[in-house]
Amino acid sequence: MRSSGPARPPFTASAFRRGFVAALPFVVSNGVGGVVMGVAYRGLGLDFSSAVLWSLVVYSGTAQAVTLGLWTTSPPIAAMVVACVATNARYLVLGAHLRQLFGDVPRRVMLPILALLADASWLMTVAEAERGRRDAGYLLGSGVPMAIGWIGGTALGHALPVAPRGPLAVAATFLPLAFVVVLLPTQWAGARSLPPWIVSAAVALVVAGTLGPSWAMLLGGGAGTLVSALRGDA
Amino acid sequence: MPDSRVLAAIVAVGLASYAMRAGGFLAAGAIPPRGLLERLLRLAPGNLFVAFAAAGILEGGWPSLVGCLGAVATMAATDREWAALGAGFAAAALASAVL
Repeated sequence: MRSSGPARPPFTASAFRRGFVAALPFVVSNGVGGVVMGVAYRGLGLDFSSAVLWSLVVYSGTAQAVTLGLWTTSPPIAAMVVACVATNARYLVLGAHLRQLFGDVPRRVMLPILALLADASWLMTVAEAERGRRDAGYLLGSGVPMAIGWIGGTALGHALPVAPRGPLAVAATFLPLAFVVVLLPTQWAGARSLPPWIVSAAVALVVAGTLGPSWAMLLGGGAGTLVSALRGDA
Repeated sequence: MPDSRVLAAIVAVGLASYAMRAGGFLAAGAIPPRGLLERLLRLAPGNLFVAFAAAGILEGGWPSLVGCLGAVATMAATDREWAALGAGFAAAALASAVL
């Protein structure tokens, strides 16, 4: 890393440190989520290295929860990939915005940093830029504690000496669903959200009962999104 | 060591996940601000999450429904994901024991 200057791309060690310190609380909050994911992976019968690899390579609570919900003895890889693309397509918008901020940072620097891109690190970096401190080092620095929390939490959760039984086992099977539903309040836009959400749920229920659960999210969510777009939601 | 099917799933989903993260940066010019594609990308997540929840509740029954309500209510009240996950887990366990 280099110190900042007028002709140099904005990627500095001091911004990395600032971002890292600012995001330290995420070691705990992402860690708790990671522990839950690790417990869920163990409940599914995945070994330790597979569980940690999921969080290391995919590094997305939403995508991991959705693919976990699709899991069978023979993982439906095509459905999992489509589900991951659908749930994480929002990153395309975040990435396009980052290009406006960091278009002058070399791609060999930005592309590895983007592997750790998270909603929270994006928000923090954009807020930092709005305060006049545009720096890709901050994006990397804020992303590292989040990744440590998530991946470390998954390892810890898988290694915990707990074996849920009875009602706790039922609740453990609910965990992948929990990861997704906790995001709903962030998507709620008032009563206007109701019609497309009702369409999404209704189509998903029909599809789950006929074609199976693998395609319920995509077809149901697609129908609701279409309703939102057709009536002119912005 | 993961077996080959699990490894293939991890690699495939991992590539898709990274493609979403890097794709927007690389193809920024192809996503015009306030265009239809940009709108669809922003409108899709909530609808996808609702559809996933509906199918999950259908499969999981009452404990899943009660767990979802507990998780969503806690998230709305606290804005803390870890608290919502804990509350949802507890609500699902309680519903499983009682219902």
